[in-house]
Amino acid sequence: MVLAVKAKDLRVGYMDEEENILWAVKGVSFEVKQGEVFCLVGESGCGKSTIGNTIIGILPPYAVTEGELYVFNKPVVVGNLRDYTGIRGRVVSYVPQNPGTSLNPYQTIGTQLYYVLNSVYGWDKKKSLEVAKKYLSLVELDPESVIDYYPHELSGGMQQRAAIAIALSTGAKILVADEPTSALDAHLRLQLIKLLMKLRDTESLTLILITHDLVSTGKICDTIAVVYSGKIIEKCSGSNVIIEPLHPYTQMLADAVPLLGIKRPLKSIPGEPPKPGEEIAGCVFAPRCPLVFEKCVEAPPSFNVYNGEVACWRYVNIARQ
Amino acid sequence: MPDNNIIVLLKDVVAGYQTTGRGWRSLFKHVNVVLRNVNLRVYDGERVAIIGESGSGKTTLLKVILGLLKPVKGSVEVLGKEIYKLPRRERVNVLKQVGYVPQDPYKALNPKLRVRTILSEPLESTKANLEEIEERVREVAKMVQLSDKILDKYPSELSGGMMQRVLIARSIIHDPEILILDEPTSALDVSIQAQIIELINNIHKKLELAILTVTHDLGVAQYLSDRAVILYKGEVIEEGHTDDIIAKPKHEYTNLLIASYKASI
Amino acid sequence: MSASIKEFMKPLESSGKRLYGDLSKSFKRYLKRTRFKVGLAITVVILFLALVGPWIVPYPDEGEGYVPPEASQREKQPPSLKFLFGTDTRGRDLFSRVILGARSAVLQITTVISLSLVIGLVVGILAAYFRGVVETVLNYLVELFISIPAVIVALVLRLALGPGLLTIITSLVITWWSWYARVTYVYARSIMEMDYVTLARLSGLSPVKIMTRHVMRNVLTPVLVQAVTDMGSVLLEASTINFLGLGLPLNSPEWGVIMFEGLGVLEIAPWISAYPGLFLLITALGFSLVGDTLREEMDPRLRRRWRLWF
Repeated sequence: MVLAVKAKDLRVGYMDEEENILWAVKGVSFEVKQGEVFCLVGESGCGKSTIGNTIIGILPPYAVTEGELYVFNKPVVVGNLRDYTGIRGRVVSYVPQNPGTSLNPYQTIGTQLYYVLNSVYGWDKKKSLEVAKKYLSLVELDPESVIDYYPHELSGGMQQRAAIAIALSTGAKILVADEPTSALDAHLRLQLIKLLMKLRDTESLTLILITHDLVSTGKICDTIAVVYSGKIIEKCSGSNVIIEPLHPYTQMLADAVPLLGIKRPLKSIPGEPPKPGEEIAGCVFAPRCPLVFEKCVEAPPSFNVYNGEVACWRYVNIARQ
Repeated sequence: MPDNNIIVLLKDVVAGYQTTGRGWRSLFKHVNVVLRNVNLRVYDGERVAIIGESGSGKTTLLKVILGLLKPVKGSVEVLGKEIYKLPRRERVNVLKQVGYVPQDPYKALNPKLRVRTILSEPLESTKANLEEIEERVREVAKMVQLSDKILDKYPSELSGGMMQRVLIARSIIHDPEILILDEPTSALDVSIQAQIIELINNIHKKLELAILTVTHDLGVAQYLSDRAVILYKGEVIEEGHTDDIIAKPKHEYTNLLIASYKASI
Repeated sequence: MSASIKEFMKPLESSGKRLYGDLSKSFKRYLKRTRFKVGLAITVVILFLALVGPWIVPYPDEGEGYVPPEASQREKQPPSLKFLFGTDTRGRDLFSRVILGARSAVLQITTVISLSLVIGLVVGILAAYFRGVVETVLNYLVELFISIPAVIVALVLRLALGPGLLTIITSLVITWWSWYARVTYVYARSIMEMDYVTLARLSGLSPVKIMTRHVMRNVLTPVLVQAVTDMGSVLLEASTINFLGLGLPLNSPEWGVIMFEGLGVLEIAPWISAYPGLFLLITALGFSLVGDTLREEMDPRLRRRWRLWF
């Protein structure tokens, strides 16, 4: 069984003018099976978007990497060397957060699809447009009309679908979506998620979703990785994360989200999430953790617990070695 | 219990933006109507939420209430006075009793000013002297749980949560009768949203002012309001006690909102 | 498993491919820092000459334009130890004239730019704040003045006011203010959309206070950067007008004027036009380098990308 994405102790940082490196991702390891829905959940500045960017291959030139990253067993990141030929835009494709700004406002949807298909397959305009129509109907847009529309003539939800169609038209098998629904209204979000699920089934895609909402991801994701300050502090199956969140941070995230109809007191987490690149000695969550104790001055390794992994010293006794 | 003082009253408000029509129609002034027959009242001390998604007209409604957009029809009363019938100076005086927290903290704080100046700005047109102003600034900073050190910083040195607190502090420093918040938590991380919601409710209890929250998030509305109004395509399609609306929605659209909230990312 | 995936399971090939981590950025960074340093050095030297010129030149009176009686015997002499740049058409020391020209240049530039900035800022901010009729009228004026070439204005003013500093400065300010007004207007418009302006209005702040505290402060930086970058162009334009005889009078210690005087004798005494011309070019270049670097520093997006790579 092929692993779509595999990361081994991956670290990603950004170098500034004085050659200081700010590490956004501080050593993450995970595996994504083909056809799986994998979610990276975390707050802003935790590094989840950086991980996504590393998988897609759109890190800026001043980025610094360590560790290893494989896409379908091909190494794309080894130490500070990054080689995405054949991967970026071919095997892995990207659906950005804000559909309004990710589509070229001067070209019709049809033209944009044509450029992609032409550069991937080398087809001429006629053939490209035919295939483009197929992709548009795949994302439940009316091909005949949308193909001639400019992005600003479409609603937000339609723009997002068009962006997905463009991402799919590269023939990619892995789709990385960076907060695909945060720019949309509530009722559109549901539709979009259903669409992604359908595509996963029909096109046997591997979906990597980057998001900040823990509670909702639980329902659709096979595996969830909770990211905090550049580290994965918990990894478990989607349904488990709500029933039994292991890490104190995950517990608090779950408690902090308002649930409709149940007006339990909202528990807030004191303090603020660490700034991107901030170095914290020991466990990254220790400064804010309500269950902190002496052992937390050392950074905890990831323990295998039940069906998941959690990086917290509280679990050292029940961890399976 | 709210007493019978009405802080904000909208009667049959129809409002929109002026656009030029196409072709020959450009000779005539044409108004693109966004709000139709909106009725709204906020009593003293109440917590009300206006729930609407993008395109529902909530931004327009806010502008109408804040005196920034004159409605085509209908009346807008703030603290008993019809603000659009007043000369500008008096209108500004009435609106000084309104505290407003805009949606985007990055656009609502002047990057060239220190927090202290930002906070003391509403007090500049009062007769307070410098010491009184400074004292009041410290008072509100404490109320929103910001340390005194923040007062000397610039907005670029603050995190999202801190910026939101500064905005809230600024909105209450002149002791308003009502606090109007536009999407108070959408720009924030989940772990901070809960903090801000708690803060707003504390302020409501302590200062006994009315709170009007405009949001698309039903969860936020649930925690920040006792009464809610659902806005869809410029019309009020449902209103009542927030908990009742959530438990027993009457309109289809409300149902849709609730279902999406429960199921979405 | 599809064919395309099989293809990508081959291991990473050896270093024939381009590897991002290893380019030598330091050379490029060095180039960039040098550029700024050179520009800064030139600017500092010119400013220094402008300040202390009259006290360090060998023949200060001749530099100012005075023709001593014995000068007619040493007209148009090539550079020598006695006259470092040679002598001009009337026998005056060219070196003194050119060095004093620095003072004239700096004076003209600073006056023109400061006046234009002030007028431009005020007009731009007023247009953006008040909108409506004020906006339309002011913008129309801006468009009108932007399209007038400074040379034509200089021509008219020369006829009306005669030669002199007032003429040259006025003709330049009349055209340049509109550029700053336009830049200011564009930025000020977007600032007026900001919520902090709305909040200030709701708090009852007076229009003047809103315009100075909120609009002006935030508009100043980009406009100032524009002004610094313009210094080179203003210098060149001023010199051109002077060269055409439409600004400062003959015999003034001004590079454009000296070049004009040397024009008629270009073949037999090229140094008369060459030296001021050289100084002109170098000064404009210096200002331009400084201005460009400042602009890159100010733009946060450019900074991240170009800093390491350019």
